[in-house]
Amino acid sequence: MTDMKRRSPVVFPFEIKKTEPWEHWTVVTEYKSEREDLWIVDLSHRPRWDIQNNALSDLKPLDFAIPDTPGQCRLEKGVLINRMNRTQASFWQLTGERFEMPDDAAFTDTTDGTLFLAMVGREVPLVAEKLSALDFLDPTTTSPRLFQGPFAHVPCQMVLVDKSDDKPGILLTCSRGYAKDMVAAIMQAGREFTLKPAGQTAFNRWVESLT
Amino acid sequence: MALTLTCPVCGKRNGYEFRYGGEDKGPKPDGFGLTPDAWCEYVHMNRCVAGIQKEWWCHKDGCGVWFTTHRDTLKNLEVEASS
Repeated sequence: MTDMKRRSPVVFPFEIKKTEPWEHWTVVTEYKSEREDLWIVDLSHRPRWDIQNNALSDLKPLDFAIPDTPGQCRLEKGVLINRMNRTQASFWQLTGERFEMPDDAAFTDTTDGTLFLAMVGREVPLVAEKLSALDFLDPTTTSPRLFQGPFAHVPCQMVLVDKSDDKPGILLTCSRGYAKDMVAAIMQAGREFTLKPAGQTAFNRWVESLT
Repeated sequence: MALTLTCPVCGKRNGYEFRYGGEDKGPKPDGFGLTPDAWCEYVHMNRCVAGIQKEWWCHKDGCGVWFTTHRDTLKNLEVEASS
């Protein structure tokens, strides 16, 4: 399987400056005309697992603790764990090397079946509120916080990672089949704010700045 | 569409995000000595209340949780259990 090739469902119509191979994916690390203050990044190559178990709080995948309350998230060492409901959580590896998935029936690898995007910048909540009725600006919520509901009419999991005024960020996953239309809808909504794609390098820097 | 429902995980959301799961008929009857008629009654027959009834709903576009709530079928509005 050395020549296996994995493709992201996302293509941004912008000129790429740098790519690098990673786990059979070709990852864009930098685009030519990146913006510092508002960008979207394709993270579909980053490993994601679904964890489902009746006694979820007793599980500690790779020594990462799962939050107790649905809606709560925990960001630790480049890994984001989101509690979805009583029996389910999602495990997103945002940066760093890929972890081997535990050999346990509770774990399902969802990487190849889902789209994964991140939007970062001060205007991100304004872009999001054009596409969803979910209230990302609710002053009573704290970040990181999981939202589950329609975004551009597509059922999504979204995490408001940072709600600071300076550089708030939203991570979003949905079924892979919606990728093309989801990206088109976000780029259209972000046009008035000059939303542009960025590579994994900019995203890594942002995640580092959070911890 | 005026219906909004309160998901126990996600809070109040648009009714379009939910899937209706039928009337809440209480626990499944004990299988011991259960007659086909009684089972048919439990599975297929509904009370179809014109007013407030307890129902099952699933937050299918959100967290996926099944829960019960009360809805006034005449107004198609979610209501408190005591009202």
